[in-house]
Amino acid sequence: MSEPRPDYLPEAIREKLIHDPRVAEQDLRVQVQEHRVMLGGNVASPQLKQRITEVAKELLPDYEVVNETTVVSASEPDSEEPVS
Amino acid sequence: MIRIAAVGDLHYGAGSKEILRPSLQHLQDRADVLLLAGDLTRCGGPEEVNVLADELRGLPIPVVAVLGNHDYNSDRQDEVRRVLEDARVRVLEGEAAAIDIDGVRIGIAGTKGFGGGFRGAHGSDFGEPEMKAFVGHTKVLSDRLERALTGLDADLRIALLHYSPIEATLEGERLEIYPFLGSYLLAEAVDNAGADLVLHGHAHHGAEKGRTPAGIPVRNVAQPVIRHAYNIYTLDAGRQVLPAAAGGIS
Repeated sequence: MSEPRPDYLPEAIREKLIHDPRVAEQDLRVQVQEHRVMLGGNVASPQLKQRITEVAKELLPDYEVVNETTVVSASEPDSEEPVS
Repeated sequence: MIRIAAVGDLHYGAGSKEILRPSLQHLQDRADVLLLAGDLTRCGGPEEVNVLADELRGLPIPVVAVLGNHDYNSDRQDEVRRVLEDARVRVLEGEAAAIDIDGVRIGIAGTKGFGGGFRGAHGSDFGEPEMKAFVGHTKVLSDRLERALTGLDADLRIALLHYSPIEATLEGERLEIYPFLGSYLLAEAVDNAGADLVLHGHAHHGAEKGRTPAGIPVRNVAQPVIRHAYNIYTLDAGRQVLPAAAGGIS
């Protein structure tokens, strides 16, 4: 497999983040500008957010990784919704 | 009033321990049943679902689940199901469960569901075997859902899915991936059979609320959408409810 061309680099990163079992996230948003990778989306824990950064850096050690993913709250809801 | 707690897309892995547990401690005071809308694990490994099962084991209210696409990724979905069932979680796939709560019988029909798209833009089981298999899978699961819902003898009926039955709860997702997020065939099955509420997950960037074409409320309970450990929906069974302990699953 050849190195991905720059135009296809975001997809290569996305594929890595989907298939690496340490992450396995299908809904991350990836942008690449110059030598900077920007990651967005929602993650379940600070630990997962850290692993995403690690996996991206393993794939692209020469790139800066800016992980702007949001850790989603797992708190109790404040209220109920009547639906019927 | 029956209180339904629901969440999907928990994506539990080995490092997920204790993420949910603090919010489950008082769940029995707030809800009568907990429904899980699939993608309970990250990659479908039994070791992943074990972490979640440990958090659910011993909950004093019934727990009913469907699996999601992530739970199939390791081709070990049967083991995932067994681990959950050992923790007294009822797992549905084209099946139904009935729960008696305070004299009200709640029926839940569940399936993972699958994709294909929505009215006017749905794939067809035509052409290559791969395309026939893709759409054919959705048709089979939708048919089973309709049969399971129709067969329920209950005061309230809930359809529990992973994939979405409607487009409204996908708003926020890229239009190009709608065919991989759900199918109108699931909504048609629910509308044919009738239900009081449809719950699904899978669409992390979607919206929470919508309705089927026949007007049945749909809620996308993917955890990144609801941004809580679960949401609670109340349903009025239209009858006097008696105070009693939560019942078992039949």
